[in-house]
Amino acid sequence: MNSLTAEAFKERSPLYAKHQDASLVALADTVAVARYSKAAENMQLARCALVDLSNLPRVGFRGTDTADFLHSKGYDLPETPNRANAQDDGSMVARLSQTEYLVLGSLRDAGTRVADLEAQWQLSEQANYLLPRQDSHAWLLLTGEHCAAVMAKLCGVDLRNGNFTQGAVAQTSAARINVIVINNHATALPSFHILCDRASASYFWDAVLDAMLEFGGKPAGIAALLD
Amino acid sequence: MSSSNRLPAPMGLLIDRNQALNFQFDGQSFSALGGDSIASALIANGRWLMSRSFKYHRPRGPLTLAGQDANTLVQLPSEPNVLADITNVEAGMQVSAQNVSGSLDNDRDAYLGKFSKFMPVGFYYRSFYKPKGMWKVWEPIIRKKAGLGVLDLKFEPEYYDKQFLFVDLAVVGAGPAGLQAALTAANAGAKVLLVEEQAILGGSLTYARFDAEGVRAENLRQELITAVEGHCNIQILKKATCNAWFTDNYLPVIQGKRLYKVRAKQCLVASGSFDQPVIFRNNDLPGVMLTSAAQRLMKLYAVKPGKRAVVLTGNDDGYLAALDLHEQGVEVAALVDMRAQPADPKLLTLLQTRGITCHLSTTVFEALHTKGMRHVSGVDLRKITSQGEVASDSLTLGCDLLCMSGGYMPVYQLLCQAGGKLAYDDQLAEFTLSGLPEILHVSGSANGCHALDNVLADATNCALDIIAALGLNDDPGRAQLKAEAQVNFPWPIFAHPKGKDFVDFDEDLQVRDIINATKIGYRDVQLVKRFSTVGMGPSQGRHSALPTARLVAHSTQRNISETGVTTARPPFVAEKLAHVAGRGFDPYRQTPMHRRHLAAGAKMMPAGVWQRPAYYGASAERDKCMQAEAKHVRNKVGLIDVSTLGGLDVRGPDAAEFLNRIYTFAFLKQPVGRSRYALMTNEHGVVIDDGVCARFADNHFYVTATTSGVDRIYQQMLKWNAQWRLNVDVTNVTAALAAVNLAGPLSRNVLQKLCSDVDLSPEGFPYLGVRTGTVAGIPARLMRVGFVGELGFEIHVPARYGEYLWDVLMEAGATEDIRPFGVETQRLLRLEKGHVIISQDTDGMTTPGEIDMTWAISRTKPFFVGKRSVEILEQQPQHRKLVGFTLEKGSRQPLEGHLVLDGNDITGNVSSCEFSESLGQIIGLAYAGANQSIPGSHLPIRVEGGAMVHATVVELPFFDPANQRQEL
Repeated sequence: MNSLTAEAFKERSPLYAKHQDASLVALADTVAVARYSKAAENMQLARCALVDLSNLPRVGFRGTDTADFLHSKGYDLPETPNRANAQDDGSMVARLSQTEYLVLGSLRDAGTRVADLEAQWQLSEQANYLLPRQDSHAWLLLTGEHCAAVMAKLCGVDLRNGNFTQGAVAQTSAARINVIVINNHATALPSFHILCDRASASYFWDAVLDAMLEFGGKPAGIAALLD
Repeated sequence: MSSSNRLPAPMGLLIDRNQALNFQFDGQSFSALGGDSIASALIANGRWLMSRSFKYHRPRGPLTLAGQDANTLVQLPSEPNVLADITNVEAGMQVSAQNVSGSLDNDRDAYLGKFSKFMPVGFYYRSFYKPKGMWKVWEPIIRKKAGLGVLDLKFEPEYYDKQFLFVDLAVVGAGPAGLQAALTAANAGAKVLLVEEQAILGGSLTYARFDAEGVRAENLRQELITAVEGHCNIQILKKATCNAWFTDNYLPVIQGKRLYKVRAKQCLVASGSFDQPVIFRNNDLPGVMLTSAAQRLMKLYAVKPGKRAVVLTGNDDGYLAALDLHEQGVEVAALVDMRAQPADPKLLTLLQTRGITCHLSTTVFEALHTKGMRHVSGVDLRKITSQGEVASDSLTLGCDLLCMSGGYMPVYQLLCQAGGKLAYDDQLAEFTLSGLPEILHVSGSANGCHALDNVLADATNCALDIIAALGLNDDPGRAQLKAEAQVNFPWPIFAHPKGKDFVDFDEDLQVRDIINATKIGYRDVQLVKRFSTVGMGPSQGRHSALPTARLVAHSTQRNISETGVTTARPPFVAEKLAHVAGRGFDPYRQTPMHRRHLAAGAKMMPAGVWQRPAYYGASAERDKCMQAEAKHVRNKVGLIDVSTLGGLDVRGPDAAEFLNRIYTFAFLKQPVGRSRYALMTNEHGVVIDDGVCARFADNHFYVTATTSGVDRIYQQMLKWNAQWRLNVDVTNVTAALAAVNLAGPLSRNVLQKLCSDVDLSPEGFPYLGVRTGTVAGIPARLMRVGFVGELGFEIHVPARYGEYLWDVLMEAGATEDIRPFGVETQRLLRLEKGHVIISQDTDGMTTPGEIDMTWAISRTKPFFVGKRSVEILEQQPQHRKLVGFTLEKGSRQPLEGHLVLDGNDITGNVSSCEFSESLGQIIGLAYAGANQSIPGSHLPIRVEGGAMVHATVVELPFFDPANQRQEL
């Protein structure tokens, strides 16, 4: 059923081997899972689903000149650390410290704006250092009404909606590895962006799926996200 | 008998009369109903004897029907020590008795009770150690007798997990107080977690009687649970136990196979109180049970607890229970009240109108029994003449059920774990609690409120306090509590000259055991506990703590507040290690090329949390595979995945200065495009890591660190720069970069096929040079390295391309016969070159001088971390040194850790050792005494089995001493 294969591309998600039976879709210079089943996955996303966004561009920057740099590129930055701002184009900027930012690409443009941002960056005299987040971190999207309950099985931070509001960022530990969790409940679909150590992605993917099981959680693709 | 023992509805709140099932107990088949506990089903079938006591193997039946005693411990096929009174029967369940010698009905060890006089308290401590050496004789006998159930060693681990729960208020106990408080708080907007041990909500409302008419409890229960169960702010956990209280309201709650880690802003303990036994001779017989247990049997399981009952009480609740029994068709032979009269005189009249004889100021002095003590058969009633004393006149009554209630003990365990202090109120003859943290509250009978109106008012008041503390509302109104009748009889202890008046059912401890412990000199209740073992059994003093406190206080002429009770520690009930462990989280890390290694048949090995290929081939052929891989690297070309190597980007105007301070070498003048070895010492001058610093720009170094050390080194760098405030950014890019080492004399040929934008010639890209370019179109950092002693290129690329890089290199190298090699092979190759691996060839004391690394220390720069210590250490005589050694092929090969000796003295140990096919010798590195380190010296090494081999110390490196191969 798949004409595309992950191995036909140079860029590969650390989780592509987990998606053997999924149908793939082109995503800029690489691929992403479109869906796991023939049926639409909207209901699954609304209930409980895990999406691998690792091939969607993202990049970090750190330094005293970073805020000016990102402003100059048209990004709307959070005013305080541990907050994230959704951008008009669907991308997102999370502020991880006073001087560190994480920019998450949008599915709408297959992350090309962020990919360009990374490609154009040059080390200079400016205190604005690129952090290779696409390569250091895997990117998962946990969706559905049970997001907080799933995370409560993995993480000691209260991520319920009342406490962990839209745009909140938690830099914490889940299933014993470091993660960055961003509340992305802006859309009708409740979801958490979760960034974890790329080398631990296989471990973490299985751990999250295991936690999702009692909520009927399953992996899902990006097709329904784009609907 | 089973059907006649079942009572009609509305009795039986927990059972499903439409679900009949069968199970086995001790090989016999029994019928049950859905919702039955093992114990209720057995009693419904007329089977009361369920266990034997721990020490004297006395027959025992249910005492509490609430999982609070050891009398119902039974064995399931895969689980010992299961509480039959709270464990649901399942169809086909195989239940058996435990701790019996022979059979439950005919226990051969039952005679032990007859020798109880010869086994006084502390008998164990005093008897088995004398004369000297006797313990060895007794120990195997005692060990054989000890223990209760039997572990199933073939048991397969099951899935247990954990979950955090975050709430505004955790209410422990869903009795009337818990329900009322939860409802009040939830109505004010608090998110409430309600934790209930039983399968239904209501606590005492499910079994106890609060009014003469017997309607209020059920009406109130229905009213409260309807409101609570439908409330959107209340989460209910039934059959769940809050097993401890930890600081800041961290509450472990066990439900099924899950441990909830509850974080509550406020916590209310409405855990109720334990019905207390009365102490008289044979108070442990089957058929003698707490009054509340008989009520539970009827109301929860619709089991008629007996045909003819005697109710022994110290409060009015016994009268109400007698009414319950009477209404369910049990003949109540007598109501025996230890007091002179009931608090509510109408109760006396009420019972008398029902034909129930009431004996006031009377107690049961002895319970009589059937043959073999299988069941209670009657009671010997005596008038109470003074505290604990009875008249000689006796009245004997026949009965098959004896209900007893001496009063109540608050379920104080969680509260005391939180620092609550117990004080004894001599007027009320009960404990009160104080000194709780501000975020912990208590209400209901645990707070000394027993009348239902007071319980509800107390719970509401408490909830209002909690609501205010949560900032939700601040209602100043608080209900006034009414005066209520005393529920505890001050001295429900009637020692019998013949004993068997049990204070502690778990440990078979009688009144005289406690008294004797104090007479021996153990005045402190904590010491009495340890000497007598009172309260140390499965029920953890739930029924023995209060009488023990009374007995110790009386015996030592103190009051009970002075005596106190023993410390309550977590857990509240036995918990399984599986709950503590939960779902195992064992993180592992894989490189982007992991799948390729598996496909190539790699034998994987752990390197910290990383999974790395040790070599490619079968485990049984380790040496053969390694030697073949090593030979291939020496003669052709090999490829190893070094993605796990630590990688740190150090960027900024002060990058060179920063590294100059961190590492021992000098880096200020390091040219761009070159790498330099980097050795790190700590403040004590001990070697802690090494790597290379590759300078890609004036303000950019890429620094490698050991696989296992990089996270620590990264932290060290951040820590130091927090002090130094240099203008530098340090980024850990270990996982972000996939890396390979393409090594061997043909490596340049392979790389040239894929890399056209870097001059790879020896002149254009010399040894220790670093470049940036592209490999197969992938942006790459290239480094000329010589770790394995051959021409080699480390290629570092963004992790997203790692697997592709591996693929294209293997494909490009096909004509050069490229093959992958693993970590074990790399270790052999570097050993041949005499290269040290930090943490394998160094330990927590290794100084640069001991490993011949003084060449890596800059003498001209003013500072590096550890400089002062290194200089001091260099002024001291050196006691040991890492040396290379060889042994002839065929010698016994030392292993890592084997000792190096000098006469009888241990001077060092082997840190690395392998057979080298290239050299035809066993080669290794070992710490040796300074006097043994001269090349040519003999090095005695004690190998496996204590045999000695004599190695020869040689100059390093073993292979290619001129380093010509790596610099090609």
